[in-house]
Amino acid sequence: MTNEELWQSALNEIELSISKANFITWLKGTRIISNTEGKIVISVPNGFAKEWLENKYNAYILKALRNIQPDIKSATCLIATPKEEYLPRKESMMDAIIAPQKNDSRIEKKNFTVNIENNLNPKYTFENFIIGGNNELAHAACVAVSQNLGKIYNPLFIYGGVGLGKTHLIQSIGNKILEKNPAFKVKYITSERFTSNLIDALQNQKINEFKEYYQKMDILIIDDIQFISGKEKTQEEFFHIFNYLYQLNKQIVLSSDRPPKSIQILEERLRSRFEGGMIADVSSPDLETRLAILRKKVADEELEISEDALLFVATNIKNNIRELEGALNRLIVSSQLTGAEITVAFAKNQLSELISSGIKKGITPKHIIKAVSAFYDIDQNDLVLKNRKKEIVRPRQVAMYLLRSEIDFSYPGIGEKLGGRDHTTAIHAFEKISKNLLTDAKLNEEIAQIKNQLYKLD
Amino acid sequence: MKLICTQDNFKKAITNSERIVSRQNTLPILNNILLEASKGYLKITATNLEIGIEIKIGAKIEKEGRITVPAKLLGNFSSNLTEGENMDIEATDQNLKIKNGSTKAMIKGFSAEDFPLIPQKNTEKALGIAITQLKDIFSKILISVAHNEARQELTGVNVTFGEKELLFASTDGFRLSEYVLKLNEGSVNRERYSELMEKTKNIIIPTNTLLELNRIISNNFEDGEVGIFIEEGQIFFEVREIKLVSRLINGKYPEYKHIMPQNYKTTITGERKVLQNALKIAGVFVNNKSNEVVLKIDAGENKIIIDTKSAEVGENSTEINFKAQGESQEIVFNLKYLLEGINVVTTNSLALSANSDSSPVAIRELDTKTGEPLNNFTYIIMPIKN
Repeated sequence: MTNEELWQSALNEIELSISKANFITWLKGTRIISNTEGKIVISVPNGFAKEWLENKYNAYILKALRNIQPDIKSATCLIATPKEEYLPRKESMMDAIIAPQKNDSRIEKKNFTVNIENNLNPKYTFENFIIGGNNELAHAACVAVSQNLGKIYNPLFIYGGVGLGKTHLIQSIGNKILEKNPAFKVKYITSERFTSNLIDALQNQKINEFKEYYQKMDILIIDDIQFISGKEKTQEEFFHIFNYLYQLNKQIVLSSDRPPKSIQILEERLRSRFEGGMIADVSSPDLETRLAILRKKVADEELEISEDALLFVATNIKNNIRELEGALNRLIVSSQLTGAEITVAFAKNQLSELISSGIKKGITPKHIIKAVSAFYDIDQNDLVLKNRKKEIVRPRQVAMYLLRSEIDFSYPGIGEKLGGRDHTTAIHAFEKISKNLLTDAKLNEEIAQIKNQLYKLD
Repeated sequence: MKLICTQDNFKKAITNSERIVSRQNTLPILNNILLEASKGYLKITATNLEIGIEIKIGAKIEKEGRITVPAKLLGNFSSNLTEGENMDIEATDQNLKIKNGSTKAMIKGFSAEDFPLIPQKNTEKALGIAITQLKDIFSKILISVAHNEARQELTGVNVTFGEKELLFASTDGFRLSEYVLKLNEGSVNRERYSELMEKTKNIIIPTNTLLELNRIISNNFEDGEVGIFIEEGQIFFEVREIKLVSRLINGKYPEYKHIMPQNYKTTITGERKVLQNALKIAGVFVNNKSNEVVLKIDAGENKIIIDTKSAEVGENSTEINFKAQGESQEIVFNLKYLLEGINVVTTNSLALSANSDSSPVAIRELDTKTGEPLNNFTYIIMPIKN
């Protein structure tokens, strides 16, 4: 039997007689380094483990070893350097210092490390947030909150679609506050992390510590709060933490992809609290804002990209800022690789895939009408004919909405397609559905399902 | 356990020890502090299994014994007590009763049986270092330590044993600090020190340990000496009634001596404050990402021009008069690294020496009398590649 096997079987036995926490704390990283005539020497990582094993666990260890090899006489410990487990480094890596690279944006980005304690990413600041009509109110509210913690808008609730800058805004609040006074206790967490931490705490019976931890905060920022929908225990604990902080005038900031009243399965008492402060939305940026975002990014990276090319990107990538930045990054990287200048033609070529995925290729009005009628189980002709039955009107409006949103069909064209209706009817339908989407969860789901269907049709 | 001690001593000891107790740990007992009463003193012990601390305070012991109580709780309680009043402390069963002036408390504790044993030293003192000197070393060395865990050995301070001196070094891969401490013969135990030199050339002390030691000496002591005991895998510090033990970092510290230039083509000298201010102004205009600042050294005119530029906010240029010897240079630095090195200089004047725009640059303190650079502290920084 080798030393390793001996120690492994001994460990298996010791594990049964002591608690898991003790086992991990004291016996992790130990091994037998020599066994001469029954005298065992165990290597341990530090002095604490040596003291403990020799003085407290010696009996367990000896017993376990003797069960396997009866002739073991003694076991002593030695603080030892563990074997080099990692791969040997290349010589050049052994140099103590190296020159920082000039302006390599890909490397520099790594310098933004997320703070472990408060989870804030320092790259999100108000200074580098581009304000446009779509986010003016939300931005103003966030700035006001950062200047007047817990006093004016509490809670602050920011909602809007993906990639529109919610996270940027709410993290900026935290960063601003820390910049002004590092002593403030700030916590940024996603509701999903919050839930999983809560579950851990419940499992380890540390729920009180969990609560205490959050109740210490001067400002608590929870991202994507809609995910606590349906999680009753999380909602309950969050409710208590919320109340506690709120009573003490501590700031709470929440973000979500929809307004409080559209979050399904949310307890009424939470919903009303969310609505009790300030609610602000961020929507898709207009062309000017998109262009400003691109310009800012180009200036940050100190790059040269023609104004036309930027305009091209801004015009074609509409929905979401994250996609916009992704598109620009793609241009930058491929131009660095090929050494080509970024022109409109270059951008067109590089982004063809992205752009066509925005307005999906090959989807025609026919497809949409077919998908809608199939989904609501009505005849395609009913959509076109004059018919004001409720069960037909709504699908017709949905169809009009999708014609506009998915393939950017003109309003008069939409009217034409659906039985020669007036373009104002189409505008009304589009606006009505857009509005209802913000509040009506069922409609949201329906549209999502139709879209799924649509893109499978081909 | 039953005893009486002064509130001042008790509070100080709890504050000093409570800090190292880790908040998150697999072993719940590690959140506790151990109180032990034996002949003539009360011993307070805390550990996070990397560092252990033991503090003895004088006390009138009526009954010996031991107990552990939650560190945070005891810390919060003792820091707010009435000053000048004595503390009556008594442990019965698993409860710690404390009476201080008009306030009484009962803290629920745990049996001391499960509290980790703090390693005790088995060797003689190797050397002692004056507290004033240690503070100076820490302020200059700890700035360059790596925080990134990727290279474990760089997260500590390397100490090399020389015949006549100790070399402290730290680096995070972008800059390097080295401090040469001349050994004071009166404080060195030659026998033990020679033994050490034979066995190991150097040790790596975890930064947290030194930060803790620095905090303890800064908060409590003006003068005196810290006794240092070095053994296999661990190090002990003793300063009066406080004992600190820590693990050492395993690993090979990178060779760094060959990076430090022997000769310099250009050396500029001048007032630290002037350069510091110019760089702080430059910092307003620096590009947040690259942090670049350009130093143009005009040797003929005896001046430096400091330029920063940011596409976002604008640009800045400052001209300062510095004595320059040797060739003119134009070097690009990371402003943060440059300024951090200058900030720790304690003399009024400093020297900045360079060879080219792509080789290591040194910052040193200047001897006020001779006007020559001092060699006990060297801060090496790599220019940004163009």
